[in-house]
Amino acid sequence: MAVTQNLLDKTLRWYIFLATLILLIASPVFYFVTRQMYIHEANEHLKLRKKEFIRYHLPSLHQTDIALWNRYNRDEKILDRKGGSRKEKLRTVFYFDSLAHDYEPYRELNTPITIEGRPYVFSAKINLIEKEDLLQGTGLLFFVLITTMLIGLYFITKVLSIKLWKPFYIGLEHLEKFEVDKSASTRLSQTTINEFVRLNQVIENLIRKNTSIYNTQKEFIENAAHELQTPLAVIQGKLETLFQQSSLTQSQSEVLEKLNDAVARLSRLNKNLLLLSRIEHDQFSESENISVNDLLKKHYEFFSEQAAAKKIRITVESSPSVNVTANPVLTEVMINNLFLNAIRHNIEGGYISIQLKETGFAISNTGHHSALPEQKIFSRFSKINPSTQGSGLGLAIVKKIADLNRWEIRYAFKNNWHTFSVNFR
Amino acid sequence: MKVLLIEDERELANSIVNYLKGNDVICEWADTLESSLDKISSHTYDCILLDLSLPDGHGFEILKELKNKNATEGVIIISAKETLQTKIEGLNLGADDYLTKPFHISELLARVQALIRRKNFNGNNVVRFQEIEIDTLSKSVKVGHTQIDLTKKEMDLLLFMIGNQNGVLSKSTIAEHLSGDMADMLDNHDFVYAHIKNLKKKLHEAGCNDYIKTVYGLGYKWQ
Repeated sequence: MAVTQNLLDKTLRWYIFLATLILLIASPVFYFVTRQMYIHEANEHLKLRKKEFIRYHLPSLHQTDIALWNRYNRDEKILDRKGGSRKEKLRTVFYFDSLAHDYEPYRELNTPITIEGRPYVFSAKINLIEKEDLLQGTGLLFFVLITTMLIGLYFITKVLSIKLWKPFYIGLEHLEKFEVDKSASTRLSQTTINEFVRLNQVIENLIRKNTSIYNTQKEFIENAAHELQTPLAVIQGKLETLFQQSSLTQSQSEVLEKLNDAVARLSRLNKNLLLLSRIEHDQFSESENISVNDLLKKHYEFFSEQAAAKKIRITVESSPSVNVTANPVLTEVMINNLFLNAIRHNIEGGYISIQLKETGFAISNTGHHSALPEQKIFSRFSKINPSTQGSGLGLAIVKKIADLNRWEIRYAFKNNWHTFSVNFR
Repeated sequence: MKVLLIEDERELANSIVNYLKGNDVICEWADTLESSLDKISSHTYDCILLDLSLPDGHGFEILKELKNKNATEGVIIISAKETLQTKIEGLNLGADDYLTKPFHISELLARVQALIRRKNFNGNNVVRFQEIEIDTLSKSVKVGHTQIDLTKKEMDLLLFMIGNQNGVLSKSTIAEHLSGDMADMLDNHDFVYAHIKNLKKKLHEAGCNDYIKTVYGLGYKWQ
């Protein structure tokens, strides 16, 4: 599976990527364009100064004035033309500045002129900003710009996006917490964003539909189980009437006994189904402080009788008084089911060990020499051994009861012992 | 012994009436609330078997009517409803016992007999069969003049078999009777054999005739 990220983190990551890209591409472009415009502007300026000189100063200038001119003009000099080009020339040159102790870049325009018949060069120059300064400036400018933009984006994403996406996260949380067998409100938060309104509607519909399907199914099971009771009673009654016939042959009797067993099994299954659906309908909500020792003792005789028929030996290790707050009927059912399973799935001449402590209840038994599939044993009708008489609901009921009380139920297989333990916490 | 059966399921009612008749219990049958109230107002019964869901009303109406009359009839509710709440409400309204459908009719008969014994406790809680005499109040059993010592289960078994003396009791029926509340959990009826064997032995040692007959493939019969 791919590594997952938060939606907002992912957005931010893209923002940072974009900002870096802009910084990398735009700053050199900006640098060159600025520099180009700057040099162009310097050229224009120099040409203007040249024009001014030629129009206003050159006509009245004498050879004797040149020294004086050069003395007081820093950036406009009149130089001898020693066989140099007769063409106007623009170039960038570096001059050493004795004050700054550094080479400074200049833009220089050399124009050939003639004063009183002699050839001279009019050289005008203008100080340029150093390249490093420009680079630094551009860099700084862009850095500040991008950083400001990123910080801005970060806060917009964090604050605005969180606000914008809030309904989404609420919906998500709602879905995560949703359990079909727990009734919860299907109302999600109000929002004015179209997509979220749609999303919420879909989620609400989905939840409502699922809950209603679940409820219908639950009711169906309860009604079906309930409606089956009466016909079952009729079948059992009729079977008993048949039993009383004195003219039954041996094979007929055997068929009857099998029928009787099947009906007993069916009614047991039905009762368990009813019990399960009643637990789901919260019909055992009232709880009280009960002694688990008493519950264990209550039917101990019954179970030891059942165990004796299979020559199973039982050892009990219990703390003197273990109390829990739970529904007494259900807790009894839970212990009985676990106890019965330990007998039912045991081997002839096997062992059962029961441990009751303040923290929990554990029952271990010998039996099959392999572990049971842990993820399957607590689901309905997952019978591991199809030959037994179990309804396939016993452990599902145990699990339901444990869940209802927030008790942890565990299965373990060690040294050929199957152990079910309930942690009262 | 006269019993009124209030039950709207015709087939079930037929089975119950026939079975009880076979065990010397006179059983009248009503299938609506109205006819039941009618019968109660004009006759007295030893026991009333009451189904709660009737076509024209709830069975609790009958319990209320009996309470108003200060009637002495014992009532056993026979219902498909098994919730604790219904049970408690029924018992609070004056019902004496509660049997959830489906049930064995032999079990129903045993409950009726036990209820009647409890109701007529002025001297009539002794069950007799030939040389056997059971005092259900002091829980003692005599064969002729010999007192025999039975466990609670064996005593229960003896009463159950004598009570259903004209019928065959299957192993599962006996097992469920002996296990009471735990009947739902049973899937092994082998322990019945041990109890029967012990009971037979104790009765035999006291010089009692062997009344427990094994009916092959079906169970046991008292005769």
